[in-house]
Amino acid sequence: MYQLQLTRRYLTSRLTPLLAVAAVALCVALVIVVVSVMTGFLNMVLASGRTLMGDVVISNPVRGFPHYDLLIETLEGDDRVLAATPVIDTFGSVRMPYPDGDSKDSANVQIWGIEPESFSAVTGYSDTLHWDSLPESAAPHVLRDALSTAGPEVANALDDESKVRLLRATAAEETNDKSDDELMTFVAATQHDGWEIRMRIVALDGPDALKAAVNPEAWQLIVEADPRLGSAAQVQREGLTLTRDGRAAMVMGLHVSKANDRGPDGETVIARDGWWWMPRFDVTVSMLPIAARGGFLEPENISLPVVNEFQSGVYLVDQTRVLMPLDVVQSLTHLDEADRVDPDDPLTVIGTDPARVTMVLVRGVEGVTPTELREITRELWRRFEHAAAALEGGTDVPILDLSPGLGIKTWEQQNASFIGPVEKEREMMRTLFSIIYLVCGALIVAIFWAIVYEKTRDIGILRSVGAPRSGIVTIFLLYGLVVGVLGSFTGLVLGWGITSNVNVIHDALAAPPQWPGFACIAAGIGLLALGVRIGRGRRLLPVLLGVYAFVACAAAGGGLLMLHAAGGIQIWDPSVYYFDTVPNTVDWNAALLTALAAVVVSVVAASIPAAHAADIDPVRALRYE
Amino acid sequence: MSDTILLQAQGLAKTYHLDRVDVPVLDDCSLSVDKGEWLAILGASGSGKSTLLHLLGGLDTADTGSIQIGETSFGGAPPSVLDRIRASRVGFVFQLYHLLPELTVLENAMLPATVPSGVGAVSGRSRAIELLERFGLQDRLHHRPRELSGGERQRTALARALVNDPDVLLADEPTGNLDAKTGEAILDVLADLHRDGLTMVIVTHDHAIARRADRVLTLHGRRLQEVPELS
Ligand SMILES: Nc1ncnc2c1ncn2[C@@H]1O[C@H](COP(=O)(O)OP(=O)(O)OP(=O)(O)O)[C@@H](O)[C@H]1O
Ligand SMILES: [Mg+2]
Repeated sequence: MYQLQLTRRYLTSRLTPLLAVAAVALCVALVIVVVSVMTGFLNMVLASGRTLMGDVVISNPVRGFPHYDLLIETLEGDDRVLAATPVIDTFGSVRMPYPDGDSKDSANVQIWGIEPESFSAVTGYSDTLHWDSLPESAAPHVLRDALSTAGPEVANALDDESKVRLLRATAAEETNDKSDDELMTFVAATQHDGWEIRMRIVALDGPDALKAAVNPEAWQLIVEADPRLGSAAQVQREGLTLTRDGRAAMVMGLHVSKANDRGPDGETVIARDGWWWMPRFDVTVSMLPIAARGGFLEPENISLPVVNEFQSGVYLVDQTRVLMPLDVVQSLTHLDEADRVDPDDPLTVIGTDPARVTMVLVRGVEGVTPTELREITRELWRRFEHAAAALEGGTDVPILDLSPGLGIKTWEQQNASFIGPVEKEREMMRTLFSIIYLVCGALIVAIFWAIVYEKTRDIGILRSVGAPRSGIVTIFLLYGLVVGVLGSFTGLVLGWGITSNVNVIHDALAAPPQWPGFACIAAGIGLLALGVRIGRGRRLLPVLLGVYAFVACAAAGGGLLMLHAAGGIQIWDPSVYYFDTVPNTVDWNAALLTALAAVVVSVVAASIPAAHAADIDPVRALRYE
Repeated sequence: MSDTILLQAQGLAKTYHLDRVDVPVLDDCSLSVDKGEWLAILGASGSGKSTLLHLLGGLDTADTGSIQIGETSFGGAPPSVLDRIRASRVGFVFQLYHLLPELTVLENAMLPATVPSGVGAVSGRSRAIELLERFGLQDRLHHRPRELSGGERQRTALARALVNDPDVLLADEPTGNLDAKTGEAILDVLADLHRDGLTMVIVTHDHAIARRADRVLTLHGRRLQEVPELS
C-alpha cells in the first residue's frame, strides 16, 4: 500500500521520471523506425525477386525439355497450382540505337522468351511494365516519327482552317497583322507545300498542340500511323502482348538502355529530352544457338521494335534482361519444332522433334508456400515424365532423379546469389541492433540509478519505520514498470508516427522550406530573453538555460537555413537504394517486441539499484543528505 | 526480567570500522527502562548517543550484547525480526524530522501503519488523525512537510512514531533543530505523553532537557553511568 502510494508520488512529483520515460520512448522509437525501414527495404527487395519468377522454377538450361505444354497441363491440373508458364532463358547481345552515327553501342543481355499472358499470371509482369502511356518528353519525338512516315498523306488531308492555324502557329510575325479571312484566301490560292514542316514544328509542342491545330481527318491519319498517339493505353497494351501491329516485339529492362536515368525524385529521365525513348526504336538482337550435341551454331539475328520497358526493382535484372515472344526465341535458339533426320542419312526425315523450353515458372494458389509448392511440383514432374515417355521425343524429357542439370527450386533458391547478400545485411543489422539495445539498456540503468540514489534518505526513513527490504524493492520495481510501460507506449506511438511519415520527413529534408530555420532562431532569442527575465540578475540557472537554449536553437536554425541554401539533402538516394520511396510500414512484430523488451529492461534496470538501495544500512541511509 | 522492566540492554558494544582505523564508540553499555519511565541519556556530541539509540531500536546491530523489549529479545537477530521490532515495538523521532517530502502530513504520520507489521491503513489513519489533532495539526493534514515549521514537522514525526502504538518512544535530540520556545513546546507534548503512560528514551546533550526526565544516564568514555541527581 505504501509502495503504490510512494511510486505514484515519485512518478508525479519530479522531472526525473519524465526524463526516464522520454529516454525509454526515444530508444523504443529509434529502434522501431530503423528496424521498420530496414525490414521494409529487405521485404521490398525480396518481393521484387518473387515478382520476377513466381514461386517455383523448373529449369533445364541450354537444351531445355520438350512437351512443356503437357507439363503445364499436368501442373495446372493440380488445384494447388495457380498457373504455370514456359520460358526460354538464353543470352545474346542487343545493338542499341545510340549513339548517333554508324557505330552503335551494344549490350549483352539475358533473353527471356515468354508467353506474355501466362507469364503475367505467374509473375508480376504486368505490374512491372514501366510505361503506361507516352512519356511527355518523348511524345513530340513519337509524333514526328509518325509524321515522317505519314506526313504527305496527312498534309493532303488538311483543310483550309487547319492550314491557317498552322500558319499562325509557325509564322507568327508574318501573320499577326492579317485577319483569318485574308489568310484563308492566301491558303486557298497557294500551292505552298510546306505543311509537313509546319506540322513538325507544331509537333514540338506535343501531340495535343498538333491535334488542336489540324482537322480530325488529318489527325486520324496520324493516329493510324502510330496508334500510341491515339490511345494512352496502347503503350501498355503492346507491352502486355509483346506485339506491334501483329508483329513480334520486345520489352527491355528499364536499365538495359543507358539513356534511362533516375531523376532526383526517383522518376525516370530519358536522355536528350525524351529522344532516346527506347519504344521509338527497333533494335537488333543476336544470339548464338547451341547444337543438340553442344557447340555454337551460326549466329542468328533479328530486328524487333521495342514496345515497352519493365522495371522489376532488382537492378541486376532491369539492367540485363529483355523479353521477347517465346516462339521467336525458340526459332532463334533452334529449340522450335523440327524435323528429326536419320543420323546415317541426313536427307531422310524420320519424325518430329517437339519444341522445347528451358524453364517453366510455377505459381501456387494462396496459402501454399514456395517450399510446399516445390515438393508438389517435383511430384507432378514425375507424373509428367511418365506420361511424356509414351510421346514422340519423350525420351528427351530429363528424369528428375537422374539429371543433375534439371532443377526444381523455389524462387529464393533460384535467386540465392542475389538474396544471399541481403540476408547477410539483415544479420548485420541484427548485430548492430543488439548493440543499440545494450546502449539503451545501459542508459535506462543509469537513469534509474540516479533516481534511486536521489531517494536514499527516503529509503532510510522507510526502513526506520519497519518497511522490509522487499517493500523498498517493490517501490522501484513498480516505478520501473510504470516508466517502462509509459515509455514503451510513447515510443510506439512516436515510432509509428515517424515511420508512417518518413517520406514526408525525407522530402522536407530534401527540399527544406526557409521558415523553420528562422522560426528556430526566433524561438532561441525568445528563450534567451525569457531566461534573462526570469533570472533578473539574481539567479544564474535560468540565464544559463536561456543561453544554452539560444545556442541550441540558433544552431538548429542555422543548420536548417544552411540546408535550405544547399538545396536539402537526399538521404535515401533512389539510385542507390533502388526504390523511389523509403519503406514506411511499421514492422509490428519487431515494434511490439521492442516495446516489450523496453518494459523488461526498465524493470530489470530499476531492480538493480533498488536491490542495492534496499541493502544500504538504514542508519547510513538516514545520514545521507 | 521483572514485571516493571520494559526495555533492557546488556553489555552493548559497537565499533565502527573505517578503512584502516577502528572507531570504538560503545563498550559494555547496559541499561534498563521501566514501563512508563522517561529515561534521558546525556552525552557530549560524538559520544555515541545516536548510535546507542539506534541499537536500542533495532535500526543498527551491536557487535556484542543483547537487548530485550518486553518478551522479545534481539541482538544479532535476522533483519526480518528487526523490521518487525521497528514497525511495532519502537517509535523513532529524529533531530532532523526525517519526513518523506512527497507525502502529506497525514500520509507521513500513517506510513508505519501500512508496513507489514503495522496496525493497518484503516486504524492507522484514524489513529494518525487523532494524534495529529492532539498535537494541534488538524488544519495541516494535507500539507506537505516543506510547508510546515520545524516544530510542526517534529510533531508530525512524533505522530508517525506513535501511530503503531509502540512500547517505547526513542527520541534523538528531538529539539536539537528547534529554537528554545518551540523546543519547549515539543517537550511539553512529550511530558504530556509521558503522563499518559508512554515509556520514553530521549538522548540529548542538553542538561535542561535531561532534567525533565525521570532518570538520567550519561554516556561518557564509551560507557553509561547513572547520574544520581542533576544540579
Ligand atoms: N558510520 C560511521 N562510521 C564511522 N564512524 C561513525 C559512524 N557513525 C558514527 N560514527 C562515529 O561514532 C561516534 C558517535 O557518533 P554518534 O552519531 O552516535 O554521536 P552522537 O553522540 O549522536 O553525536 P551528536 O550529539 O553530534 O549527534 C562519532 O565519533 C562518529 O564520528
Ligand atoms: Mg546524534
